[in-house]
Amino acid sequence: MKKAVKKFDARPKLNGSWKFLDDYSYENMIFGQLFYSTCHHGIIKNIIFPKNFDLNEFTIISAKNILGKNIVPEPVCDQPFMAEKEVMHFGQIILGIAHSDKKTLRDFVENIKVKYEKLSAIIDPKECLDNERNHFGKEILINHSNNEKNTGNYHKNIYYTQHQEQAYLEPQGAIAIYDETKKTMFVRVTAQCPFFVKSGVETIMGNAINEAIIETSEGIGGAFGGKEDFPNLLAGITSLLAYKSGKPVKIVLTRNDDIQITTKRHPSRIEIETWTNPLTQKIEKCNIDYRLDAGAFQTLSPVVMARGVLHVGGSYAIPNIKIRGRLFKSNTPSNGAFRGFGVPQALAAMEAHIDQIAIDLKIDPYLFRKVNLFKIGDEFPTTQKITENNLIDCLERVIKNSNYLSKKKEFAEWNKDNSNKKGIGISVGFHGGGFTGNGEKVLKSELKIIIEKNANVKIFVANTDMGQGAHTTLSQMFYETINHPKEKCRVQLPNTSKTPNSGPTVASRTIYIIGNLLQKLAREIQKKLNFENLESYVATHQNEFPREFRKVYIPDKSIVFDENNYVGMAYKDYSWAACVNEIYFHADTYKLEIIKSWNVFDIGKVVNQKIAEGQAEGGILQALAYANSEFFYKKKFGRVRNFTDYTLPTTLDVPEIDVEFIHTDNKIAKGLGEIPMDFPAPAVRNAFLNATGIFVDEYPLTPENIFNIIRSKNEN
Amino acid sequence: MKISLNINNQKYDCQIEPDETLLNLLRKLGFKSVKKGCDTATCGVCTVLLNENPILSCSYLAVRADGKNITTVEGLGKKADAIIDAIVNEGADQCGFCGPALILTVYALQKELKNPTMEDVNRYLAGNLCRCSGYEGQLRGIKKFLGVK
Repeated sequence: MKKAVKKFDARPKLNGSWKFLDDYSYENMIFGQLFYSTCHHGIIKNIIFPKNFDLNEFTIISAKNILGKNIVPEPVCDQPFMAEKEVMHFGQIILGIAHSDKKTLRDFVENIKVKYEKLSAIIDPKECLDNERNHFGKEILINHSNNEKNTGNYHKNIYYTQHQEQAYLEPQGAIAIYDETKKTMFVRVTAQCPFFVKSGVETIMGNAINEAIIETSEGIGGAFGGKEDFPNLLAGITSLLAYKSGKPVKIVLTRNDDIQITTKRHPSRIEIETWTNPLTQKIEKCNIDYRLDAGAFQTLSPVVMARGVLHVGGSYAIPNIKIRGRLFKSNTPSNGAFRGFGVPQALAAMEAHIDQIAIDLKIDPYLFRKVNLFKIGDEFPTTQKITENNLIDCLERVIKNSNYLSKKKEFAEWNKDNSNKKGIGISVGFHGGGFTGNGEKVLKSELKIIIEKNANVKIFVANTDMGQGAHTTLSQMFYETINHPKEKCRVQLPNTSKTPNSGPTVASRTIYIIGNLLQKLAREIQKKLNFENLESYVATHQNEFPREFRKVYIPDKSIVFDENNYVGMAYKDYSWAACVNEIYFHADTYKLEIIKSWNVFDIGKVVNQKIAEGQAEGGILQALAYANSEFFYKKKFGRVRNFTDYTLPTTLDVPEIDVEFIHTDNKIAKGLGEIPMDFPAPAVRNAFLNATGIFVDEYPLTPENIFNIIRSKNEN
Repeated sequence: MKISLNINNQKYDCQIEPDETLLNLLRKLGFKSVKKGCDTATCGVCTVLLNENPILSCSYLAVRADGKNITTVEGLGKKADAIIDAIVNEGADQCGFCGPALILTVYALQKELKNPTMEDVNRYLAGNLCRCSGYEGQLRGIKKFLGVK
């Protein structure tokens, strides 16, 4: 474990010299803006441009101008780049418009009027998810059950979660430059997955270009999944504007546009029914109906659902379990990737359900978890065997760190004499590293390095550094393996014409898949060239350099997953974690204050302690805010358009966060990116339950929601 | 219309639009450390110092800055080093988009508040949003830098 390695880009980011998308400028560059639907569902009857503008000054594109296909490439290709006749949601793009002056452009776009024939629309997640008729059609079934009998104690509930906005502080943006001679489209973009963007641009441009070359901006101002697929669409439209205008075009979304039209976390409705044996206190049987609101189009939602159903059984050994996963259709922008990818929803339901069962059985939630948690030899619902007890170790450690047992007693006493309440709650979770099932086999990720004559090592990966420190950690994994000087090793800015496709920067896979692959390559090079010191070797073998090395990721042969029946090894390695949250409920204002959050992780080897802590802390705060403050669409609330209504936690809202990593002697660095967002949220709700005895079946626990729950309980 | 202002101790005579924001003017003049995040004075990434006080340049008309002294992080130069070091040492900087504004606000905090408590610090920094770090690492670094007990 190396503690002292600092991020190579930290200083330039803080002194303002690091370049983000909007900091780039090109000769003759003009500006673009998206014009989108303000109707939830309707037929476009006509579009009226404002008078007092010379239309010839503007470049305007619609679906009719698309040179290739009007379909954004995604796992399900059902979303058009731009609407043709029918708009399916508020925020669906209808036109791309460009002009040399930003202010003129904004005035023009703001005054475009569209007449719609309005059709019925569903924008409330509950309305979408409660109605079976909104189901998209396809479903996933996992059946790990031999027992059709329902015996023992019965527990049932339905759990809901809301939309969550990624809220990266740098808005989405792209700059496209068309090269008429080479027939290439160069796109600079703030995005997680340059090769996804390439595919998007090449799809919309069709045969009009020979190649799209995608390079990210130097800085990517946060992403959290929000820059996984939307940039494909944005870069596509920007490219078409550049092609039509013959000039470089830059589009940077305003925050209002960004919040209203880009992807969010999927709202969920998860129904769980469970049978437990009151004598053994074990869960005997469980049926789960896992539903996600995909929005107007399915896009990548099936992949989110796949991960969701593979985690919704929770961390428990349940001998008979059936899981059904389905996507539902609404008239909101298609929901997309967000750190956790279906797992925060899964655990929101299962971890609350576990506490409900514990109360039904009159047993402490900690002891109930201890009895039911996975142990070596148990099976996931896919029949994959559990091979380590590290989750129990996480739980025991966090119970000890938080002093859970004595606090629980102490709070129970304190609550007797006080109208305000103190509470403490637990949650546990896990996250499979890398792509689900056979995903990594299909990807065949490749990376490349070049060793130069001065022994500098250039690392080429398509994985981006969006703040998570990936480029620092990846380079560290290489130079530490062969004891090469830190300053002589640097990950290059991803560019699809220079970088092999090492896959997208998603699925907690960058360090786990690419980092471990880079280490293997480092060892192979050392063995092949037979050096102890690379610098000395290069100095004495100058004619061999510069030299390129490549390596393709080949998954372990033991990974066999049947995607039709959801049987087999869904993920080779899992990260495990457990959380205890302490809360204070203010009875006069209905405010739920999170006092402290204790978290213990097993992510295997920790490559960079500070970066890992930062990832954990940032993800934990996102998770806590998911549980108690953030929401998007809500009946009678109006539209959320900016950070004025979508309230992110500030320095005044942050509780004390305690993070510990255990089992760090593992040779493998497992996934870390997403797990901090997965598991801490349910412990907020469970702590509230402990404090007040009030069971809440949906997030977020805002004072308004708590007030309504208490009022409706009193009325009943 | 014409205004004249000092940016990082250098005089600038500028032709501006009446409705132009200070953020827009600064970025046009090349001060790219000043970021645009929300346009509604909520995220804090456009923070600059106006006569030593932090303001949100996205909601401040450029015309109001006429005759005033503006400092961006570029203008702090070496004075920013110790604050930057404090945050770098904690590995607290992530995407970096909120970074320059945070440095300016901490600089102003240090000048304005004598012997602040952590509560004072949290209150002072509440207008500078960060979505990556959970604030924990930043606050550890800032606490050390300010010597808060």
